[in-house]
Amino acid sequence: MRRKAATLLIPGPRVGRSRWRTAFADFDWVLLFLVAMIAALGLLNLYSATYATAHSVKFTQQMMWVTLGTLSYFIFTMIDYRSLQRWTWVAHIGVIIGILAVRFFFEAVKGSQRWIMLGPIRIQPTELAKLAVILSLARLLHDWDERSVDKRTVAYSIAALILPVLLVAWQPDLGSASLLGLIILAMSLMLVQTIWPIIVAMLTGLAALPLLWERMHSYQQGRVLAFLDPGADPTGAAWQTSQSVKAIGSGQISGKGFMEATQNHFNFLPEHWTDFPFSVWAEEWGFLGSVGLLMIFLLLILWIVNVGLHAKGKFGQAICVGVAAMIFFHTVVNILMVTGWAPVVGVPLPLISYGGSSVLTIMTGLGLVSSVSKRRREI
Amino acid sequence: MLMRERLRYLIAIIFVFFAILVSRLWQLQVVRGEEYFRQTRRNVVDTRMLPSVRGKILDRNLEPIADNRPAFNLYGKAGDIDEEAFERIARVLELTADERDKMQARIEKAHKRKRRSAVLLLEDQSRDRASLVKQESHLLPELYVSDEPYRYYPHGRALAHLVGYMNQITGSEFDEREAEGYQPTDLVGRYGLERAWESYLRGKRGIERFVVNAKGERIEGPDADGLIEGARFVPPVAGHNVVLTIDLALQEHIEKLLRRRAAGAVAVIEVKSGRILALASTPSFDPNVMTGHLTREREAQMLSDPRKPFIDKTLRQYYPPGSTYKFVTGLAALKESLVSADEPLSCTGVHKQGRRVFRCTSAHQKVDFEEAMQHSCNVYFWKLSERVGIDSMAQIARDFGFGEPTGLGLNGDTAGRVPTKQWYEERDTFKIGHTLNAATGQGDVEVSVLQLAMAYAAIANGRKLFVPLLVDRVESAAGDVVVQYEPQLRRLVDVSDESMGFVKHGMWRVVNEIGGTAYDYARSDMLEYSGKTGTAQVKAMRRRDDDENLKDWHPDRDHAWFAGYAPSQNPEIAFVVLLEHGGSGGKHAGPVGKAIVEFFFEGRVPSTETEGELP
Repeated sequence: MRRKAATLLIPGPRVGRSRWRTAFADFDWVLLFLVAMIAALGLLNLYSATYATAHSVKFTQQMMWVTLGTLSYFIFTMIDYRSLQRWTWVAHIGVIIGILAVRFFFEAVKGSQRWIMLGPIRIQPTELAKLAVILSLARLLHDWDERSVDKRTVAYSIAALILPVLLVAWQPDLGSASLLGLIILAMSLMLVQTIWPIIVAMLTGLAALPLLWERMHSYQQGRVLAFLDPGADPTGAAWQTSQSVKAIGSGQISGKGFMEATQNHFNFLPEHWTDFPFSVWAEEWGFLGSVGLLMIFLLLILWIVNVGLHAKGKFGQAICVGVAAMIFFHTVVNILMVTGWAPVVGVPLPLISYGGSSVLTIMTGLGLVSSVSKRRREI
Repeated sequence: MLMRERLRYLIAIIFVFFAILVSRLWQLQVVRGEEYFRQTRRNVVDTRMLPSVRGKILDRNLEPIADNRPAFNLYGKAGDIDEEAFERIARVLELTADERDKMQARIEKAHKRKRRSAVLLLEDQSRDRASLVKQESHLLPELYVSDEPYRYYPHGRALAHLVGYMNQITGSEFDEREAEGYQPTDLVGRYGLERAWESYLRGKRGIERFVVNAKGERIEGPDADGLIEGARFVPPVAGHNVVLTIDLALQEHIEKLLRRRAAGAVAVIEVKSGRILALASTPSFDPNVMTGHLTREREAQMLSDPRKPFIDKTLRQYYPPGSTYKFVTGLAALKESLVSADEPLSCTGVHKQGRRVFRCTSAHQKVDFEEAMQHSCNVYFWKLSERVGIDSMAQIARDFGFGEPTGLGLNGDTAGRVPTKQWYEERDTFKIGHTLNAATGQGDVEVSVLQLAMAYAAIANGRKLFVPLLVDRVESAAGDVVVQYEPQLRRLVDVSDESMGFVKHGMWRVVNEIGGTAYDYARSDMLEYSGKTGTAQVKAMRRRDDDENLKDWHPDRDHAWFAGYAPSQNPEIAFVVLLEHGGSGGKHAGPVGKAIVEFFFEGRVPSTETEGELP
């Protein structure tokens, strides 16, 4: 039994080293450093955002989630990502069931059903769906490359991949659905040999947008309309955005300083810990701080791409591209949203926004990347 | 490897998007940063104006005429009160239609200007309603009651025209004067002294700055305090008190005398200084009602009153002075040596001028200057006027201050009219009849009660024409004198002491000798004083049908005048009584003048120190 476990965790021929040193052989310290930076800044920001308010408990909760996330990061680093291949479709189906369960068995919050409530813990299966989709698509791309797959399997697989996107859109959670779509798109464009069918599919999707509008909840339509015409309703949907833009702008070059964000402390920014933490950050740390944070994200994304380039095999590459795309799109959409250049669609900023499922998903994804990086030299 | 081939596109896309994000942040934080910074400051720091105690208006004995009393004012933020809230407030408080309109108008006014700061919605509410607002605060979360000083006029109608009243600042006034610290629904001095001395009376508002969150709730604590620029609390400074020259006891007595008449005006002047002792105009208004409690109905009623209660009849309204003006004609003739005081002229009761016949009050036979004054013989003065001409008379009239504002600077104190030959020629043609009319203060001669009083003061004090003085001094709330106003001489009237002596003696005879026009009605056993009656004919006026409910209002009757000074020797006060459409000067105005003089000198020994020559 012991031997079996050992081979699972520490494969390869490095005999004679201590178990600890073997565990950290080829460990990607750069990745860990960047991730730790962002997570630490996120906690710092959340502390300021919720300090001395009714929501200050969220900081403690987030600490717990980050700890859990870190644990997950290390666990997945130690697990050989390739051994996950056989589980991808299981995970995928599990997530779909979770989404359906949310749809049919749980109370709606703000007009849409997103959470599975397990006692005090609320899990958002849509967040986990992002991971499942990345893994499943990676598996599909891998299979496509490694062995000949018949067209029928490909068609089923694609349908299986699109299904969670549709289900999430049906919740309705426009932000997550489009993010899932974007992740799939990015991975496909990077790793599929012939990309014209994907472009055709994309254009068809765009043409279907008016249909989607019909299906949207009135509050979602309101958000989109508010985005298109922010002057129309200053205290309603556009209120959040205009207050957020003010908060960011008021940070000026060097910011108001830690814990000095007035917009945030006096509740001018509703929900600032979930969708708008960047406004708090930008208000307190100014242009320099905002660009600094963006640069760390940029470095992280580039580093993950770099890990992908050195990965052995398509599965690892696809995981890296998927996780990079996930972090990239979350970051870009969230910041465009809080600066008033995108509608408020509820996309969190990775590791900065409050939210257990999001932290757990991102950390696990990064753990997979770390695992890929650790095994870059292996055959 | 496929991924390596496409890598540059991937990197390009990543960099393009990050460049977009950075440029957007540059735009918001660097380019527009300052403007947003100011906006967020405005977001959180709210200010509340603390009302200052308005200065009092006091009479010469420091008896308050305008004071303050505690009152409950209802405040709310225009931004909080939507239609639903408004209806709920109206229902819970059981607002009257007038109150509803008032509140509605104020909310609209404030909504355009300061929707996020609290403004006065209803002032001076009853104790019941104030406690209702407090008790039912769950039903009326938009409102709060503030216990504040409120303007109060303890003597009601007394001196109403001079003191004035207060009401809401208008939208355009607020826009103009916002920098002075006004709020959109403040009360401001609207008329009289309250208006003219607003800047002294008002004092300085205090300011309280505090931090609010998005709901407008107040946030306390050192965190919040750090955001406030400037002082958190500036205490209000009470307004200055304005001390008048008015003798309130005399004023109230006069108002009581006038209240029995339909309409009229009285001025009493201290002759040695030009200080106004009393200035009354009737009918008047109650400033306590005008200040925040005027209903539409009451306002309409007052505006349609033919006696014009809002017009200050001592300053704003002009009347033909009638025979009280004859001293002008007499002095003009004496000055030009066109008559000697002892030269008798004959009066047959009529004076023919061309085809027109001018009638005298009776046939006075041969009368000299003083007798003509005593009996108010028109023919005598017509004859004099034919000798001197209208322009020489106008010269003397102007010397006495007619035809130009008195310089009081209140309630539309304007010029009146002293017609000259040129004046008539500019309009039509000049006729000798105009001169005859002017000789007896008829026709186009128009004077105000205050002008006439200042002229009589000049007669009494030996030619010194003063600027009327109403405000004696301005004091700080602590009692320190801020400004002291000294008597101001306008000019020395250019007539000889001898001529003036004849006028004064003539006026003495009017009151004190048998046959004088005031002798039967106004002679006093208490002291000797001098005066001149006047009965000014009015252009044919008909009683309007709807005037019938006004007792004693006869617009077809003559204006009754009685002007004079007391005592005859060494005079102290000059007075003018005008009863609008009151009838005969001697018979109707005379007794009022006498009552004023007697009231003033009751229990007071007129100073016996002689000054100047005896009349």
